[in-house]
Amino acid sequence: MAKFDLNDDSLVVIIGSGAGGGTLANELAQKGIRSVVLEAGKRFKMSDIENDEWKMFGKISWLDKRYVEGPARLAKDFPNLPAWIVKGVGGATVHWAGVAMRFQEHEFKMKTTNGTVPGANVLDWPITLQELEPYYEKAEKKMGVCGTKATGMPFHGKSSHYKVVAEGAKRIGAHCEQAHLAINTQPRDGRPACQVAGFCMQGCRIGAKWSTMYTEIPKAEATGNVEVRPESMVLRIEHDANGKANGVLYADANGNKHLQKARVVAVAGNSIESPRLLLNSASNMFPNGLANSSGQVGQNYMTHTTGGVYAEFEKPVHMYKSTVVPGVVTEWQDNDPTRGHLAGYELEILHLGLPFMSAFMNPGKSGWGRELAESLENYDHMAGFWICGEDMPVESNNITLHPTEKDQYGLPVPVVYKTDHINDTRMRNHAYARSKELFESVGAFKVNDLPPYPASHNMGTNRMSKHARDGVVNRWGQSHDIDNLFVSDGSQFTTSGTENPTLTIVALTIRQADYIADQMKKMNI
Amino acid sequence: MNNDKKTENHPKNASPQLSRRGFIAGSGAALVGGAVLMSGTGLFAADSKAARKIGEESNRTLLRMARDIYPHDDLEDKYYRQVMVPLAQKAETDPKLMELLTVGVEALNQESKARYGTTYLNVETEDERVVVLKAIEPSAFFQKIKGDLMMGIYNNPEIWKKFGFGGSSWEHGGYINRGYDEIDWI
Repeated sequence: MAKFDLNDDSLVVIIGSGAGGGTLANELAQKGIRSVVLEAGKRFKMSDIENDEWKMFGKISWLDKRYVEGPARLAKDFPNLPAWIVKGVGGATVHWAGVAMRFQEHEFKMKTTNGTVPGANVLDWPITLQELEPYYEKAEKKMGVCGTKATGMPFHGKSSHYKVVAEGAKRIGAHCEQAHLAINTQPRDGRPACQVAGFCMQGCRIGAKWSTMYTEIPKAEATGNVEVRPESMVLRIEHDANGKANGVLYADANGNKHLQKARVVAVAGNSIESPRLLLNSASNMFPNGLANSSGQVGQNYMTHTTGGVYAEFEKPVHMYKSTVVPGVVTEWQDNDPTRGHLAGYELEILHLGLPFMSAFMNPGKSGWGRELAESLENYDHMAGFWICGEDMPVESNNITLHPTEKDQYGLPVPVVYKTDHINDTRMRNHAYARSKELFESVGAFKVNDLPPYPASHNMGTNRMSKHARDGVVNRWGQSHDIDNLFVSDGSQFTTSGTENPTLTIVALTIRQADYIADQMKKMNI
Repeated sequence: MNNDKKTENHPKNASPQLSRRGFIAGSGAALVGGAVLMSGTGLFAADSKAARKIGEESNRTLLRMARDIYPHDDLEDKYYRQVMVPLAQKAETDPKLMELLTVGVEALNQESKARYGTTYLNVETEDERVVVLKAIEPSAFFQKIKGDLMMGIYNNPEIWKKFGFGGSSWEHGGYINRGYDEIDWI
């Protein structure tokens, strides 16, 4: 495995090793471009992965101090856990259900589609679906997405959980389909087929689900072009007198600081850490933080409009005997303002284990008592959804730095402000009502609405824009202000779409790697 | 809980005249019986060191409270004790925790007396005890007990089967050949 010198200034330095960072490292490595990946978390082994919700939560989650603010219930229920993501090699690709759906055409142009939305900061993406389609194809092939032309792999079989929802959807005339999952249904790419353990979110113990932890990262390392440094928390990005990024200061596991020189820097620390790092890198030349001439770094934080719905039936469902997301009700994924809200949502069939169900049915201080206990006694008679809908970008939903409190690295603690736009509230209520109708049509005697959990989909805080005044990065994820500084994660999303973000992050990253290679060859960066 | 029993006890299977409310009230009555059976016992044997330290009344009050927070009438006391005993034992050497528990139980009893003229243990119905618990819900004491119970009950692999949850499955080859697609009522 490669080992690079701190003074080597010919390297791409990639911050983060998840869907964006891990993919970028491998894509560049395959083209012969050398990089160092600085990952804040540890490197886990396959044997560290257990089918145990709380153990894995404690083991892999990003639990550094954060604050949630705003009037939303999340701030009361989870005052220090805005986001449910991973600190470890592989990042959030360790903790995901594998849902890999492409954005719809209109989702790249929400401003054109709906005009100005009062109270929201909606903007068209500077790219179109047509431009991204070839990269979606490549991403599906790389990740092994079932049910696609790119892989030819069949869907997973229909689980009991899927069958209950599909029947309900049929009865109310809603479209339901099996989920496109980046989970092998046949042995492929050196990884086995899914055995339906039912713990996709806790990390796939056998590696059937795509994660950069055991795909992109080892492949990148095998080229000899990539050095991954785990337990390396980046403190700031440095720049030269001309305002070009030229190095990255980080703290290792023992707290010792190192400055890694760089030719190009790519930030991929997810939508809280990425803007936080740019803000923490403020200098005399860039007093408001790097790449922040627009003032949009950290703004427009989106999480998807979410919530849960769990229905109780007379007869058993055994939802846990399934891939975590076996299917999706896509009926309301379109943009149809006659529903009373703009943009669309998916009802993703999704199970939790009993331990998490007890924590999320009624999270926070009042989650106790006979009603909750009775519902939990019906755990094996439940079916349910996770609502995943487009979230309006609102400038005041943002990531800022705590004025006084510092974390273990001496960095100001991030403060996350997030609350609903009225459109989000209307959409969620629509989703709750349709879900109830669907479940009651198959005989549910009780339908429980669950409030949003800490966000696993985090987007928009370094958004892509055509004009430098409106956003942080251009159509390639390259910062408007600094040519050799890139953003490679979901924080570059201009709007959230209704689909889970990972596939789009990977497609954007493959495309970005081509651009970085081209620009390096032309000596533009 | 266990599946056969659930089908019998299920509200939907109860006689049509019996409303859901009626079903709950029925369970409550059963619980009062349970409480009588339990009244001689607490978390610890009455003569144990731990019981002496925390006080006999607190000892029994904590168990009653545990059963009221997550009431599962078919679940034996031992599963609640498994959560509360380590907590009380830890309090023996942790004065802060001991204070949290003893002051908490006092507050609970004060609240009970103010509302029903008697200590928590002697408040007759679950509905009434819930009113008392609701009043102290925001307290660190209540949230500590609730948090430990949630982990101790629902994250206890010993009783997952009763709730119909399978737990870790990869070592059994998952469910690909163990009925993931089986359902007979759709």
